[in-house]
Amino acid sequence: MKLSVDRTLCDGNGVCMGIAPDVFDIDDDLNLHIADEIPDDPAVQAQVRQSVTSCPVLALTLEE
Amino acid sequence: MVGETSQTIVVAGGSLAGHTVVTELERHGFAGQIVWVRGREGTAPYSRPALSKELIQGKVTAETIRLPVPQPYGPRVRIMDGAVCAGLDPHADRVLVTQPDLSERWIDFDALFVCTGTQARVPEAFAGLPGVHSLRTLADAERIKDRLAVRPRTVVVGAGLVGSEMAASLRSCGLPVELIVQGQLPMEAVFGAELGRFCLERHHANGVTTRLGATVTALTAEGPVTLTYDDGESSTADMVVLGLGAVTSCDWLDGCGLDLSDGLGCDEALRTARPNILAAGDVANWRHPLFGHRMRVEHWSNASAQARHAVESWLAGQEGRQPPAFADVPYFWSDQYGLKYQMVGHARGHDEVHVEEAGTGGYPFVTYLRGGRIVAAAGVNAPRAVMRMKARIQADLAGDPTSEEVYAR
Ligand SMILES: Cc1cc2nc3c(=O)[nH]c(=O)nc-3n(C[C@H](O)[C@H](O)[C@H](O)COP(=O)(O)OP(=O)(O)OC[C@H]3O[C@@H](n4cnc5c(N)ncnc54)[C@H](O)[C@@H]3O)c2cc1C
Ligand code: SF4
Repeated sequence: MKLSVDRTLCDGNGVCMGIAPDVFDIDDDLNLHIADEIPDDPAVQAQVRQSVTSCPVLALTLEE
Repeated sequence: MVGETSQTIVVAGGSLAGHTVVTELERHGFAGQIVWVRGREGTAPYSRPALSKELIQGKVTAETIRLPVPQPYGPRVRIMDGAVCAGLDPHADRVLVTQPDLSERWIDFDALFVCTGTQARVPEAFAGLPGVHSLRTLADAERIKDRLAVRPRTVVVGAGLVGSEMAASLRSCGLPVELIVQGQLPMEAVFGAELGRFCLERHHANGVTTRLGATVTALTAEGPVTLTYDDGESSTADMVVLGLGAVTSCDWLDGCGLDLSDGLGCDEALRTARPNILAAGDVANWRHPLFGHRMRVEHWSNASAQARHAVESWLAGQEGRQPPAFADVPYFWSDQYGLKYQMVGHARGHDEVHVEEAGTGGYPFVTYLRGGRIVAAAGVNAPRAVMRMKARIQADLAGDPTSEEVYAR
């Protein structure tokens, strides 16, 4: 799973962090941080996929 | 592979919840046919939250806010754009679908996912007046956007989430804006007085004028729009945007025997009284197992999470398992004047608030309690503090004695 964010689009609204808190973190300057490694856990991977399809500004891309 | 090739699932609604149900069914490899009735809007699913933010401000276009489709839909997904579900047979598993050419047909289903969401509340007397807009759909937003070039003097009626956000976005575009607040503070119904006051100050600091405690009693649109208020005063505007909340789109279920007292009533697993009819998103009213009361949540993350859950519930039923309860803690955000408001939980019935500061901006951070337990928290530009409260709320409501520790983490 290779996950990337388009920082020109991401506005730090936290939807992904709400869905997959182990993978996404947003600091108080609203910058998104993505975990270096996505855990090999199907539940977390499902959360990641859902984050990608739920991102309201379409900033996330996933290559499986 | 799940399901039988002979099965048909009807998905009603073409926004986030419907979209997520379809993509989840596909991801699970559902073997049957999916009939996706996407509604009158006649567009592919798009990001609704972007309408009052990036779209109005010209940062994105209709083309760039379409929701991503993880893999192309399979051949067994039949998309009906512009078609609506117009009725449900009370005695049999079939829905009446009206096509754009107004032809009608019944479609038999093995399962029905109701994701028909909400629509803007527009009092009958204010409907269809020139210069008066509501904001729910892409078409609504584009109509408003088309008028911005002439810099209309704008009055925004209603200071809930959409009204407050629209006032901020239009002001950020340089328009003169007056905001009509029915109560004494904007967003008070969601955030309570403390953050409501903060929000009011931000509007004033950014040059929005406000009219507090005012209800619009009449609108006349001859040339400019004249708004008359309950105290007899009036104001004029080139453009009026109504932000008067939303009503659920479930008239089409009238008379089918399901619970429609506030949206579509479901059990904890998002199934209606007919277990092969499930609901997700703005339309779904369910009993939250942690909060211990029924609720309906009109926020983006909820629509996606519930849709995924409703699919799980249906699959569990198919496999003879007990379907799981939907226990996500609600979450939403709002963007106003470059500030990010965020809230987790559900503040209804809170009887105590704690206000502190959080985040690098030192903005107010509010914790809402009910009977001594934390039910919600909200802040401004403080995502970590807000998100951390999610686990705390879960633990607190579950009566977990270690909830203090969870918070400390
Ligand atoms: C301007 C605006 C800004 C917002 N900003 C935010 C925000 O910042 N943060 C946040 O958390 N939430 C926000 N929201 C709320 C969020 O957009 C909704 O919670 C979300 O769209 C709900 O998705 P849904 O799929 O349940 O329903 P909806 O988005 O309401 O979609 C319902 C769908 O059903 C279709 N439909 C209706 N009737 C029928 C029928 N009879 N048959 C078939 N189809 C039908 C409609 O055409 C539509 O496609 C905002 C909403 C608006 C309007
Ligand atoms: S959901 Fe999208 S926009 Fe929001 S924080 Fe995550 S990546 Fe950024």
